[in-house]
Amino acid sequence: MELKELCLLNGVSGDEKEIRKAIMEQARPLCDSVKIDRMGNVIAFKKGKVGGRHILFNAHMDEVGFIIMDATEDGMLMFRPVGGIDPRVCVSKYVTIGEKKVKGVIGAMAIHLQSREDMKRVLPFDNLYIDIGAKSKDEALGECPAGTYAYFDTDYELFGDGFVVSKALDDRVGCYNMLRLMEETYDADVTYAFVVQEEVGCRGAAGAGYASDADTVIVLEGTTAGDMGDANKVQSICDAGKGVVISFMDGASIANGQLYREMTALAEKENIPHQVKRGATGGNDAGAYQRSAHGKRTCVLSVPCRYIHGPSSVMKMSDMENQFALAQAFARQAK
Amino acid sequence: MKTDEFLRQVTALPGVTGNERAAAEFIAKAFEPYADEVEITPLNSVIARKKGNGPKVMICAHLDEIGMMVSKIEMDGSLRLQSVGGVDPRVLPGMRVKVYGKDEVLMGVVGATPPHLMKEADRKNNYTFETLFVDLGLPACEVEKKVRIGDNVCFESRYVELKNGRVSTKTVDDRGCVAIMLRAAQRLQKMHHEADLYFVATCQEEIGSYGAMTAGFQLDPDFGVAFDVCHAETPGAPRMYTSKIDSLVTSKGPFLHPYLVKKLEEAAKENNVQLQVSIDPRWTSTDADDLSLVRNGVPTVLLSLPLKYMHTNVETFDMHALEEGGRLLAHYLSAMDASWEEELWN
Repeated sequence: MELKELCLLNGVSGDEKEIRKAIMEQARPLCDSVKIDRMGNVIAFKKGKVGGRHILFNAHMDEVGFIIMDATEDGMLMFRPVGGIDPRVCVSKYVTIGEKKVKGVIGAMAIHLQSREDMKRVLPFDNLYIDIGAKSKDEALGECPAGTYAYFDTDYELFGDGFVVSKALDDRVGCYNMLRLMEETYDADVTYAFVVQEEVGCRGAAGAGYASDADTVIVLEGTTAGDMGDANKVQSICDAGKGVVISFMDGASIANGQLYREMTALAEKENIPHQVKRGATGGNDAGAYQRSAHGKRTCVLSVPCRYIHGPSSVMKMSDMENQFALAQAFARQAK
Repeated sequence: MKTDEFLRQVTALPGVTGNERAAAEFIAKAFEPYADEVEITPLNSVIARKKGNGPKVMICAHLDEIGMMVSKIEMDGSLRLQSVGGVDPRVLPGMRVKVYGKDEVLMGVVGATPPHLMKEADRKNNYTFETLFVDLGLPACEVEKKVRIGDNVCFESRYVELKNGRVSTKTVDDRGCVAIMLRAAQRLQKMHHEADLYFVATCQEEIGSYGAMTAGFQLDPDFGVAFDVCHAETPGAPRMYTSKIDSLVTSKGPFLHPYLVKKLEEAAKENNVQLQVSIDPRWTSTDADDLSLVRNGVPTVLLSLPLKYMHTNVETFDMHALEEGGRLLAHYLSAMDASWEEELWN
């Protein structure tokens, strides 16, 4: 399955049905067992040629999006974000709502009608509405009842010098690379955990970590690149195009020191372009794994993504390839 | 050409004020089957004439659109933008834009500093043209080869059909009204009209109605019928400045001629077309303002198509209102005759 298809499938945290189904179908012929656990995670297991060592690769299936709360009397849908979305990227965007894929747009008051204060003020979600063309509250909620999930409706496009722009690159890129990793059988036993609800607090990974007896967890992620425009260079933690990002630490966990050094040494040895995350911002499933059950060694390999958590996240394809190459090199040497 | 097909195609074309050639050529072609003469003026307005022996009437709607121009190429290859017309920078973050470069059209993503890398105080402010940029996914040396300062940048364009015949796309302001003129021209093929009709798709409205002013000078019409968009109701918008989305609006006020307005209301009533009224105490901020002042004055009437989210890529209108606009305009133009001149000031 191509990255494009994975990105265009929908799966806001709590509504991962569509993406889960697709991943199950892909994983089934390649693994010894593929199960859905109590949280809704897809847990695929592939027995090793030698066994003895058990490692786990993790990527989250869910993406940020929206959930319908209510509608106004004149048929405009009220909504809230699911996961961290800056309301500033929502104005004037296309969305689809629910399994019926109802089309909508997020409008805001025209510039002509705004006061000087309005122009400066960030429109909070309280002042943003999805317009599906409905004429009344009943019509709007009939089509899209409260609790229906909504999605950025965007294209997947290749552009520039090997870049791609799409919704949900975080973390379909990790899902894509895991589906590729499982095409090979390694010496060690490998669990591939495609987890739910990362964007609302790494809840899927907490359950998956509890149930797994893997000793080492490698999290494949997308992380914020602030390498374009005006971001303060001190705060910009990685650059698109400079290779897979290896984290020594982030907002949710500190990488296992030995594992982190092994990983960087492996990237050096295999000549895989890589960069060390220059800071500890962001948090991901590694935090949940590290603290689950009796505790697990973790390390995070990320693909730098610009404008993450919006309709148009951007990454360089070569970084994705390097994430794959390093993850594969790690799996091959795990004994 | 069917109205929705015309709209689908014409709204996708670039036509930022000052560079309207592509839109003008397409519109000229669309009018050809229904006009006796079609020309494109030096400024890129399109004039389509349907001959008659009665009063000379200029009907106009503008074909230019708001947009942007490249103002700077930064060291990291990102582009800075200059707005052309009233672009609300709030709609830009995360938008895919089209950059009309030297030899090719490039897709770019409007980027901004991620919120968690901003100071708390800056997160409370909207992004502005100073803090937004276009990412082409190219290094500066490549960008320099493909993009020039002054190249046009257009909004992302999709044609989204919503419920109840509502459609959301870019540049309904004002190609939606060009579509109304085209519908009227089509209908008039089978109707009698005495008036000498000039349908004009004007350029450069968004920076000051220069197209209407110059085409008006060239044609020296007896009457003017200007078409533009007005604001449909949206949450939070002041009621005094908004109309219902489902029918056309005519304006009353000193800039609009009372007799022409009265005749328009009569035509609407006779033909069962719903027509709302809006009051403009002074400027209408449309071509009507300048057209009515051409040479020693042109009695002018204004018709507006209500639009939600004006000046964005998701301008939303009601297809039924647009179709009814074409019907009303055809009947109105068909009713015009020499007697109107006599009645103007009675």
